Amino acid sequence: MNSNPSPSNSSRFEGCTLTGALSVVTQVRDAVCVIHGPSGCAHHNFSLLHATLADSDGVGVPRLISTALTENHIIFGGEEVLEACIARALELSPPPASIFVLSTCVVETIGDDVGAVCAREWGVPVIPVQTAGFLGGVFQTGIVNALLAAASCADGAPGDAGGVNLVGEKNLEADVDENQAEVARLLGMLGLQVRLRFVRDVRTRDLARLAGAAVNVLREPALLPVGEALRQRFGTPYVDSFPVGLSGTLRFLEEVAGVCGVDGSAAVEHEAAIQEGVLARFADLAGSRVAFDRVHPMLDGDAAAIGVCSELAEALDLVVDPEGTRLPAPYPAPVGTAGIRRMLHRWRRLIRGRERAR
Amino acid sequence: MKQIALYGKGGIGKSTTAANLSAALAGEGLDILQIGCDPKHDSTRMLMHGSWIPTVLDLIRERGDANITADDVVFRGFRGVRCVEAGGPEPGIGCAGRGIIATFQLLERLDALKGDVIAYDVLGDVVCGGFAMPMREGYAQEVYLVTSGELMSIYAANNIAKAIARLSRRVRSKCRLGGVICNEKNLEGEDELVAEFARRINSSLIASIPRDRIVQLAELHRQTVIEYAPDSEQAAVYAQLGDDIYRNRKTSIPTPLEMDELESFALEFVQI
Repeated sequence: MNSNPSPSNSSRFEGCTLTGALSVVTQVRDAVCVIHGPSGCAHHNFSLLHATLADSDGVGVPRLISTALTENHIIFGGEEVLEACIARALELSPPPASIFVLSTCVVETIGDDVGAVCAREWGVPVIPVQTAGFLGGVFQTGIVNALLAAASCADGAPGDAGGVNLVGEKNLEADVDENQAEVARLLGMLGLQVRLRFVRDVRTRDLARLAGAAVNVLREPALLPVGEALRQRFGTPYVDSFPVGLSGTLRFLEEVAGVCGVDGSAAVEHEAAIQEGVLARFADLAGSRVAFDRVHPMLDGDAAAIGVCSELAEALDLVVDPEGTRLPAPYPAPVGTAGIRRMLHRWRRLIRGRERAR
Repeated sequence: MKQIALYGKGGIGKSTTAANLSAALAGEGLDILQIGCDPKHDSTRMLMHGSWIPTVLDLIRERGDANITADDVVFRGFRGVRCVEAGGPEPGIGCAGRGIIATFQLLERLDALKGDVIAYDVLGDVVCGGFAMPMREGYAQEVYLVTSGELMSIYAANNIAKAIARLSRRVRSKCRLGGVICNEKNLEGEDELVAEFARRINSSLIASIPRDRIVQLAELHRQTVIEYAPDSEQAAVYAQLGDDIYRNRKTSIPTPLEMDELESFALEFVQI
């Protein structure tokens, strides 16, 4: 039987498994996603992706089609209608370079053999992604399953070696591109380039370049199963998270440098100086009384985010006091020094706003 | 209207018993509807003289459920017994249990669930909620367990008793255990064992059907025993069974046994 495989801070990720997987595979811009299930499963997700994408990057909405199962398909089995739907996807214009087939709860319940249908000779890669949430999965499971499925498009033998893959960026978060820029800046200080955003705004053929990186940088520790699978398959070492916090950002530089065998001491020194500069710009906050609030009563505190708050409170000489200005604990934790700077601007607005209100 | 369901281990003789029961009751001038609830769709075949009638799910698959009338799914067999087969998906795909639910919804909509007696003949193992459908929603109000004296057969009957006990806890449930039918395998002390099993699960032995070659002969001639050998002793047994079930007013909520109870109980009887 399946147990809930989510990480300890899982309550952040307890959404629909299908949504998590779609947040990944819809970033393969020349692919079509077939959702094998009732039409509502596709519609719900289409609406969400449409809203999110319109908000952040304005790129055309992803191509999703549904097998639109009804009761009779459930009784007699949905494999034939899935075949017909894949064939229909191949007829679309422009033709897809790959097709991701995502399962839903009901087709896994009746035991449709999605893998066998995908394994037929279709002319382009047709890749099954297991996304039935009732099997113990949540939003995060969908992301992991989708990344592992997308990895099947990778060539075993890398054409060129070196560079860094970013693995599992949070495509639905507002700061996704700012966070990527920050990580790229830090990697640049070590003389490293981003090789592949796995998976964000790529084409199917780009996925072939997954192998051969000097290091895979995972977005967060919940992606460990992906980092581990890629390490076993391609021998690529991984760093388990984007940088979080002042000291965490310096540790990130050291860790990446260590894995890639470069000298990171100059970069660490330089970054520490940048952090000093940021703190100096917010020195006016010293002595302010603040209280850190949970984002939402349903969500447990994110340990990393709470850690960043405490670290900054100490560095800036803030006084933590239940009566102080309420500052929302960030979700997710800010990435790198730039993420901290943006967060401190928000804190300052809240603290000054409260003072003016008095 | 009396609605009964026959449940029991696969191959124990539910369909044979049900078809002869229906034929016997029809002989009393009663209007009988027999519904086979098994993807194998062979419940009513002897009543239909060996012909395979189109199943409800075949028709749904071919035409969609909007274009089906009661006449398309209900077929008159021996003595005017009305026969329906639910059918199911091809073996190894889809969801047969959901098929049973869809069949019941369609029969309900077609107003086909009527007559003096409706007999539901159900797949041996209640493998999922769909196959418990005849016990739900007030369809079958009396369940008859068909079993021999063999342990695995009693084990299956005991499992169905569990399903009845579970369902009867629901507020609107009308499903009760009507009794136990012993379809004999000619084991020593078999009737006593099954009678004692029935007593221990808070029910009673309604009938013992002897093992008789005439049943196989009738089957080879694609008939029920009632039709093939109306004057035989076996036909008289089925007629009596029909009579007893039709008149039966005594039902119970079963108290199924735990597995170890069941085994030690079977052991007692082997030692006698």
